[in-house]
Formats: sequence, C-alpha cells, structure tokens
Amino acid sequence: MRPEHKPKIIAFCCNWCGYAAADLAGIQRIQYPDSLRIIRVMCSGMVHPEMVLHALNKGADGVMIIGCQLGECHYIDGNEKAMARAELIDELLEDFGFENDRFLITRLSSSESEQFARTVGTMHKRVLELGPNPNSNQDNGDTP
Amino acid sequence: MATPDEHNRRLSDRRAIHIAYAQAVPLTYCIDSDLCLHLNGTGHCSRCSDACPADAVDFLMSAQENTIRVGAIIMAPGFSPYNPQGKGSWGYGVLDNVITSPEMERLLSSCGPTSGRLLRPSDNRPVKQLAFIQCIGSRDPHPCGHGYCSSVCCMTAIKEAMIARDNDCELEVTVFYSDMRTHGKGFDRYFQRASDKQIRFTRCRPHGIEPAGKDGALRVRTINEQGRQLEETFDLIVLSVGLEIQEPTIQLASLAGIHLGPEHFASTSSFQPVLSSKKGIYICGAFSGPKNISLSIEQGSAAAAAAASLLMSRRDTKTRKLRLPPAQPPAAAVKTGVFLCHCGNNISETINLETVRKQISVLKSVSHVEEVLFGCSQDTRELIIDLVRSLGLNRIVIAACSPKTHEALFRRTIREAGLNEYLLEMANIRNHDSWVHALDPDAATDKAVDLIKMAVAAVMLKRPVTANTAAVKQTALVVGGGVTGMTAAINLADQGFPVDLVEKTDRLGGNGLNLHRTWNGEHVPPYIKKLQAQVLDHPGITVHFCATVLDAGGHAGNFHTTIRDHKEHRRIITHGAGIIAVGGKRSLPDEYGYGKIPGVVAAVEFDALHIYNDIRVSRGSSFVFIQCVGSRDETHNYCSRVCCTHSVQSAIELKKEDPNRQVYILFREMRTYGLRESLYNRALELGVIFINYEQFGKPKVKSHDEQITVEVWDHILHRPLHIMADMIILASGILPNPDAGRLASLFRVNIDEDGFFQEAHPKLRPVDLPTDGLFVAGLAHAPKPIEESISQALAASARAATLLSQKEICLDAVKAVVDDKHCDGCALCIDVCPYQAITPLETIDADGEQHKLVAVDTMRCTGCGICQGTCPKRAINVVDFTYEQLTAKIEAALN
Amino acid sequence: MNIRLAAESLHSCSGCEISLLNIGEALIPLLNRLQLVHLPLLMDHKYSDPAGSETEISIPKAEIGLVSGGVANTHQLQVLEAMRKSCTTLVALGTCGTHGGIPAMINEWPMADALQTVFSTVTTEPVDVPNQDTPPMLDRVYSLDEKTDVDIFLPGCPPDPTIIARVLEDFLDGLTPEPVTKSVCDTCPTRRTGKSERKLLRFTANARFDSNESTASMQCLLEQGFLCMGPVTAGGCGHQGEPACIRARVPCRGCYGPVRHQDNQMLGMLNGLVSQGIDFKTIIDRKSMLRFSGAHGRLRPLKEKKRAS
Repeated sequence: MRPEHKPKIIAFCCNWCGYAAADLAGIQRIQYPDSLRIIRVMCSGMVHPEMVLHALNKGADGVMIIGCQLGECHYIDGNEKAMARAELIDELLEDFGFENDRFLITRLSSSESEQFARTVGTMHKRVLELGPNPNSNQDNGDTP
Repeated sequence: MATPDEHNRRLSDRRAIHIAYAQAVPLTYCIDSDLCLHLNGTGHCSRCSDACPADAVDFLMSAQENTIRVGAIIMAPGFSPYNPQGKGSWGYGVLDNVITSPEMERLLSSCGPTSGRLLRPSDNRPVKQLAFIQCIGSRDPHPCGHGYCSSVCCMTAIKEAMIARDNDCELEVTVFYSDMRTHGKGFDRYFQRASDKQIRFTRCRPHGIEPAGKDGALRVRTINEQGRQLEETFDLIVLSVGLEIQEPTIQLASLAGIHLGPEHFASTSSFQPVLSSKKGIYICGAFSGPKNISLSIEQGSAAAAAAASLLMSRRDTKTRKLRLPPAQPPAAAVKTGVFLCHCGNNISETINLETVRKQISVLKSVSHVEEVLFGCSQDTRELIIDLVRSLGLNRIVIAACSPKTHEALFRRTIREAGLNEYLLEMANIRNHDSWVHALDPDAATDKAVDLIKMAVAAVMLKRPVTANTAAVKQTALVVGGGVTGMTAAINLADQGFPVDLVEKTDRLGGNGLNLHRTWNGEHVPPYIKKLQAQVLDHPGITVHFCATVLDAGGHAGNFHTTIRDHKEHRRIITHGAGIIAVGGKRSLPDEYGYGKIPGVVAAVEFDALHIYNDIRVSRGSSFVFIQCVGSRDETHNYCSRVCCTHSVQSAIELKKEDPNRQVYILFREMRTYGLRESLYNRALELGVIFINYEQFGKPKVKSHDEQITVEVWDHILHRPLHIMADMIILASGILPNPDAGRLASLFRVNIDEDGFFQEAHPKLRPVDLPTDGLFVAGLAHAPKPIEESISQALAASARAATLLSQKEICLDAVKAVVDDKHCDGCALCIDVCPYQAITPLETIDADGEQHKLVAVDTMRCTGCGICQGTCPKRAINVVDFTYEQLTAKIEAALN
Repeated sequence: MNIRLAAESLHSCSGCEISLLNIGEALIPLLNRLQLVHLPLLMDHKYSDPAGSETEISIPKAEIGLVSGGVANTHQLQVLEAMRKSCTTLVALGTCGTHGGIPAMINEWPMADALQTVFSTVTTEPVDVPNQDTPPMLDRVYSLDEKTDVDIFLPGCPPDPTIIARVLEDFLDGLTPEPVTKSVCDTCPTRRTGKSERKLLRFTANARFDSNESTASMQCLLEQGFLCMGPVTAGGCGHQGEPACIRARVPCRGCYGPVRHQDNQMLGMLNGLVSQGIDFKTIIDRKSMLRFSGAHGRLRPLKEKKRAS
C-alpha cells in the first residue's frame, strides 16, 4: 500500500471548451489540484464509454468528460451524445465494480476557467473521499 | 517603478516593463518609456535587460515612421468609456466605492486586482449590497453628458450583475434603469434570466450618490413604481458609463478628412453603413455609433467586403506562396525528439526540467531530449529543423504551451524540416501545469513527466497524413432577393464571383418594399429601385424569380442546390458558398380589436395610409401607438428591434404636420437605441406623450359608436387613463420566415428557439452558419433595421469571399478514417454523424463474397469523432485522436 | 508424421464436441492426418498415470489441444493446467472457453449465493449445497485465458463445424489461423440505411419481411427496432455466408462473443444504441447482453453497499 494516496484523474476535454478553459485557467494562474491529466479530444462526443472504463481499469481514481454547454457544441450536438452516454456510464459503472462517483461529466464554455478549476477541485475531493481505485495496484487487464 | 495599471482600470499597479494583459497579442513585455528610469533619463537601471535570459531587451529601439501606400483604409478606432469624474453628482473620484462598469469588469475578473473577488475599494470588505446606475453619460442632454443611448450598457450591467450573483448567491443586486434596452438577439431572454436570479430591476433614475456614514456606505434616493420616495444604502455602486468618441479619434478623423456627425461619430448613410464621407475610407465598429461586439464584428467584415470590391482588380497581386521541401518517406523505426521549453522561466521556475529530462530520456522510443529557452523563438525553430535532419528524428514532442495556440507553428516547423506535419504532439506543461501548480514544484514536475509520457506514447502511433485539397467552385448562391440578398449579391459579383440569386416571388425587394424612410430620414424606395436595377443589369448575377429551394447537398467549396423556378423547371446550381437571406415576415396582430375596429391598423398599413394622406390620418386629431404587439410576449419572446424607432418617427411626423394633434405612444421599454435616441428626444420636445405599460397590464381598446377608447394605467397619475383615439397604430413585430425550418434542415443548419437561423457563435461568428461555406444575413438571422441588414449582407459576402477567392482549399487532415479490417458496415455510425458524412458501402472480395463497410465523405467530415465514440469495433477513427492514441495516453498517464 | 490431438471439455455442455463431429465427411481426411491421443468424450482414458501420484493429472503430449468450456471449479482448473502443459498449441473451443459462455451468467451473483439459490428453491426439499466428493467451486466462472495462456480463440456456441475444420486444416498445413476481425454484420445481407427506430421492440412479434424474398430484401433487424447483437458479436456463424440467426430472420443473440477479444458486448451495444438516441433504460435486462461473455469480470455481483441501499 502506498503511504499517501495521490489520486490521478483523467479528463477528456473538448478542444473548444474544456481544453480552452484549462488554457485560460493557466493564463489566469488559477491554482487547482495536480491530480488532473487532460486528454484533448475534438468533441466530448468523441469519447467512447469503453475509454472511461479502460482508464478506471488501468487505475485512474476518477475520469471526467468536459464538453460544451448545451447549444454551444462546435459540431451541432456532439455534447448531447456525450451527455446521453454519460448517463449510461453512470448507470453501468457499478455493474463493472466501480463507484459511479468516480466519473463526472460537466459542461463548460471556453471562458469559464474558474468553473473549470472549481469542478476539478470538486472531483479531486470526491476521489479523495472514495479512496484509491481498487484497481490501481493491479492490472486486471480487462481491456486492451 | 510602479504605476497604476491601465488594464485593471488603475485598481492595481504595474511595473515599467509589463505585459499589457494576459490575452495580449503578441504576448510579450513592453517598456513604458515615460516610467522606465533608463529611458526617461532619471537613472541607470538595466535590471530587466540583465535578467532577460533571451537578451531581448533593447533600450535603443525607437519609434519609426513608415509610409505605406494603400488603395483603401479601414478605420476602426473604437470608443472610449465616458469618464464621470467631476460630472454630475455621482461622487466618482471622491467616494471610493463608486466605480464605473469597466472597473467592475476588472473586479470580477479572476486575473484582475482582487482575483475575481468582489471587494469594496475603500476597505477591501466583501460587497453585500451592490447597485448599478444606468445611463451615466448617456441619454443625458446636459452639457457634461451625451444625448444618445450607448446601446450596450444595459446588457453590460446585466452581465456584470449575473457574474457577481453567480460568484456570491447572498449578494443583493439592484439595477436602476430608465428603459431596459435588451434589443439584441436573445438578449431579452438573458434579461429574464437575470430577473429570475433575484436581481432587482428598478425603473428609476437616481439623481446622485451621497455618503451614508463614515464607513464607506453609499446612499441613493429613489422613487419606487408606486411613487414613494425611498432611501437605500449600498456598499458598492457601479456607474454604467456610456461610450464616447474622444479627442484623439476626432483628430484622426480630421487627418483622414472624413466627416463626423453629431457627437463626433463618423457619419454614414444607412445604405452604405461602412463607407465614410470619403471614397476609399471605410469605417466600422463603434466609430460610427455605439454598438456591441457582434455588430462591430459584422461591420469589420462588411468594411473588408466594401474595400475588397473597390480593390478587386488588384486581388492577389501582393500575396506570396510558401515553398516547402518534399516530405520524407516514413522511416521504419520511431525516433522521437522531445523538446522541453523553459518558456523563459514560466515553466522552468516551477518544473524541474532536469528531472523531467532524465525520466523522459530513458523512454524506449525517445532518441533525443533537448531543453530550449523559448520553443517558439526563431532560433529554436531552426534548431528543431537541424536536429530533425541531423539525428533523423521522425516524431516530435514539444513540451511547452497549448496546442491551441502553437500547434500550427510547430507543425509548420517540422514540415519545413521535411517531416510530415502530423507527426507532432504537444504536451501542455505550461497552461495545464507550471502555471496552475506554481505552489507545488514537485507535483508539477511529476505531472510534467506524465504529460510528456502521454505525448510520447501518442506520437509513436502517428502516421504521416496528407491533407486533401478540394477545388472551389468560385460562385455563390444567395437565397432571398430582399435588400440583404441583393446587397450581398452585388458585392460578391463586384468582387468577381458570379452569383445565382433565388427569389421566391416575382419581384426583388422583399420586406424593403414596405419601407419608406430609414431612421435617419433617408428614402428607401429610390434606393431599392437602384439595387433592383444593379442586380438585374449586373452581368455576374443570375436572378431566378418565383423559385424555391428543393434540396441541398455538397460541402464548402462545392455545394449543389436544387431549385424549382417559375417555369416549374428543376435545376441544380453548383456553388462554392451560400448566403441565406430569406428575410422575415411581419406579424399580424390578433389583439386590440385589429381587423374588427376600423381605426385599429398595423404600422405598415398606417405608413401607407399616411403617405397617401388618407382622410383618417389627415383629419385625425388623436393617435395612439401601442408598442410590442407580437413581440416580447409568451409566443414571441424577443424584441423586434425596429418598432420603437418606427413609431417615434411616425409620431414626430404627425406632430410636425399638426402640433395640435394628440399623439400617444404606449410602450414597455422605449428602445430607441444608439443615435436613434435623438428621435425620442425630438418626440418629447414636440409633445408626444409616452406612457409606460407592463406585460401584465396591457392597454384595453374599446369601440363604442365609432369612437375608439384606449384604457391604460398611468404610472405617474396612478390611475387608469382613458384616451379617445381616432386611430390606433399597432407596432407589430417581425416574425421569422415560416420556411426557415425547412431550409435549415436542407442546408443542415439550425434555427433558434424563435425560428431564426442560428449563427455559429453569437458574438464572434455572427454571420457564419455552423456548416462551413454557408452564411446568414438580414432578418433571417434576427429582427433588425435596414442598415444593420446591409452591414450583415456585406459581412456575409466578405466571409463568403474568403472562401471563394481560393481556387482550392486545403482540408484539414483531422478527419474520420475507416479501418477496413474491422469495419463491417453495421451502420451504427451513420445516423450519429451530424454532417451526414458517412454512407453505407458494399464491396465484393476476391472470393466473390459480399462485405459491408461505410465510407466517409472527407469534404463533409469535420473530424468531431462522434462516430468514433459510437463504433463498437474501434473501426472508425479520427486522425490524431485515434482510439489507439487516446488509449495510449490513458495508459501513459497512469503508469 | 501425424499430428497428435488432445481434447477436453470443462464447464460446458459438449455442444462444441458435437459440432466437431458435425464436420461430417470432411472429418475423415482430417482424421487420417490426426492422431487422437486424449478425448474423454469419445474414448476412455484415465487422468492418473498408474505409476504416478493419484492426485496429479496427466494427459499425453499433443501438438494441438482443444479445450471447450470455461473454468468453474478446482478440478477443471487442474485439467486445464495439465492440458496446457501437454499441448504445444492450445485452442479455446467455443464461447464458454473464450468468454465464459452461458455458464458465466452465474457471475452476476456471488458464487455462494448462487449455489444457495440453486439448491434451495421454494418448490424443492431443503438440502445442503453438496460439498462431499465434488471439487470446490471457484469464486466465479473464468474463461480459459484468464487462467492460462491460450493460443487460438475459436468462439461460437457452438463454433460452426466448417470453421473448426478450417482451423484444423490450417494447423495441419502449418498455417496460423486468422482471427475473426469483423462482426456478424459483415456478411449479413440485410438492407441498412443508418436510420433506426428510436424505441426498441421486444422480440414477441415477427420482424417485417417478405417470406418469398431473400433476406437481402429485409431491413436490418436492429433498424427495425429489435435488439440484434450483430454489431458487437464476432462473425463466423454463417461461415462467411449469411449469419445463422439472420437466415432464420431472428436477431443475433451474440453467441460468438465480442468482436475483439477484450471488448465488452453490453457496453458496445448500449453505447451504440444510446448514440442513436435510444433510451437504454427501456432495455429491461441489459445484463443479458453479456449472456455469452460474462467472464473477464464483465459480469460481476454488485457491491454490497449498493445492494443494501
């Protein structure tokens, strides 16, 4: 066991909102927890639920998807697809042995850097409360 | 040396050497020569140049005069905020807790002087009661103010109030206003949301602010809607200051020799809203009158279109083409080069790059790691090119800032080195790491290692990609032959692009045929005649009368639209760009006895009666205008923008013809925005009586023995008022084109909740539709007056011309690619594609067996990857974001 | 030289072996080239070496070993390990071996609870869960590759005889059999438009089709609103021809397991449906989508916490 739980959160950030908001948070020097590892995607609708599960299977303590506000999707309705999938992920995570609190989807616009940092803070606190991902010390190789 | 920071509205200090603001372009330091001891001659300081690792400080640099010969000038000097210091009884400059709206903007900004916390300037205590006072320096005929409406301050105040409330839900916010001028697209809804958020809007204009006690509190005396006098105290009062043109701009205009109108705004015609009084000089933005961001952006594009048509013969005479070495064939073994940028000390101050270098060098695919001071500087880019060539690097990772700002630059760099530009990955260790974990260098260093490992893992899997090019059909289709459509068509044809203009009736002019005068009194019919003649005579324009759009397909650069014309012929028009200018429709009133009581008419009908001097008008002695008929109600939750000005204009005419006439205007908010306010003032002077009513207390119209009576609640007398009227004129609003929904689905674009076409971005891309190559202008977009329609038409044609001026367009290679080995045509991805870019495909293999696949139309595909997120077999992937690459990143981040 | 073949059935129904026999005439030339050294289903053979220990299982050496069924108890695990030891190339034959198959549906409950339920229903006499002379159950049903290395995966419930034959032929010819990379849809002749019903139908009514016409004239069953597992199920059931269930105008049940070995049929399918705008909550028993691939931890009991709440 590790002496101190240093969580890692994978965040799939839409290029047009979440990623830009994270960039802006940097410009504004807004400090937030260092557990976040951002993966840039073109649209939150690009994220396959399998990818979320894969991250958890590989030991991520939390997974976030950050997409655009409704009606602001760069690709008409990709964020709505992502929301529908998120509902599915929420429902299925328990089936696969994870607390569904380990997953969070949120909507932002590119200017909402503070909201971004706040959300990361919330998620960080959440995974600290949940404790380490049960898979974090083992690689059960569920998905390739 | 410190001095007040202008960007933070002097609420904080800055140094002599400084970055103007966080989003400045270019994001480099500059030296204030008045303040710098070295430059102003008061000392021998050279600390900045000693400290600069790039040796970039040059004290000898001086201002230079350049002469540039140009064919056209676009003037966009903008505006200055009104300075309330020493004016009125606002106490600005005397009372610490009275600030202006631009200062409020800084207080709310997280990179502002208080890091986004709303603190009173007097004692830095959190604000509990906040008030906004509107119309400071605007709608104020006193010598120290301006008579016009600044047009943007109502929305600014609501926005600031909303942000303040969002940050602190305990905060009490009050806005004191005269008329809430939220006349823009979607603005009324925003206003309603603000009211729902418990922001208090009080219709009252306080006359001054006084201190309440010694602790910095402020007192305002107001009158509530019941006429009671009140005293209220606040912690902080924001003065919503207006826009004005100040001396430097006036001097600039006089240098350019262009004419400025009243209040020093550049004078323009409604028909040529971006042309100055001098040929070849175009103007845009708030220089010609107060306007908001989207209108300013539209005018910017419109000015470009106007200049482009003037300079048509010289197009492309000054452009140069970039020459690149041939791209190397892909090598067998992956050799990744990693460049660690210090970004001066923005990164290296927090992240231990030495540790990072050690941990990255041992990765299997990494063959070289180089630390660089500034990754984006010219010498580093040359170094990258050298190392790619000398070490045979074939994958590049740049660990620096954001790919959103710098990926294009580094792609170009490695392309110049002969490497395919897609063999690049950036690790954002500045914006996402050193800047946001500045207090924990160890954690930031660990994270940087992870971020770079992720990039290394992903770049390994990248393959060279060639971006496709597509020929552009250099013609345009304009749907709608109203003022907007004709203006766009003429401009594009003048720029040399043939235009097909599709008009649904047998006549050009659209809604413009019902208009007589613009707000500033210019006559519309002759102008429309001129436009009609220009369109019909123009060799570059083909008009299709009585034509409707039946079908649409294709993509930017090559659309094919099917129309049916008056002879019932179907024809397919191919075009590179399309402008939707299908206009709107007048709303027919269904209240106030319209259609039942003979004296009740709609505004358009009244105009006709008035012009032909109908007996009902000429003999009438009492006229009542009722505003917001078919606007701002439950079914039409938007402002039609033009009706207030129109009614006021008609009222003025009636009064001018006979001052003894009684003319009433019953209104909800008087929205004579911008310079139109002068009409409102003129009407007041002439004795037009304005009576405010609210949505819940609409006027009642009754007719008895041919006498019409209007009953309305009088807010000053506090009792119902009965007005005997000869005529009631209903200011009926503007409806969307009933065909908009059908057209939108044909062209794969959206309509908004009110039925108008939805632009790609309400502020930044006001005339672009979400489908590339298609644009919207005029009433199809939202209700607006003629000069704004013309601006938009020109803006749309400028945007279309940026596409049409290219013979071919280079398509981004970031698109969905089908993996034939795993795709089996299950078709789950077909319907999810927002652009209908995916179609089923059947193939027959060597054994004669049939297989199913899907095919991606790369012209339509935008690379959003919604298909990738759907496919259960990972058989469709977006270049640069493949399932494999994203998975590799996940694993690298967690190992 | 003859190639030696050993075969074993573990947690399975022997359907795979029947499919092996169903190769029919093509089996005869194969048998000329194969030497069957161990095949309990057909020939009596004792595990224990008369000279060796009684508990150790010994299986003759073979170049190719076919194992059907998953692993659910310690005995099966021992047999599997022995097969692995004896066989140069180990083939997981059938979906039970590759993904757990039908028996792995038990993984939805803790093994002890499941056994308790099985042996004490309300209509039967109360008895104890047998534990004498039976090998202890593992905590759940495993696929073969969860317990040992598997060289060739040959899914199917059962695998199509022609595919078994082809794999054996390939093996005898010294070729590596190519794994399936495509789903049932690959060779499904039905018409697809990409537009599907927004609501799933239960398969209590017939699909829409004209019985006089070929299946090529029938609209894709998934697009008709039936839960067809074709898109997430490995192909091969029709031996490159029309998929077996589709030929009967019945939606695919998913019996070949996921297309890529580690994929998740339920997640893949639900995501596909959700992306089409179908409300996944209208699917009453979503776990049935894993009825053939419940191993690999795909099906597992819900955490205690959740069930208590």
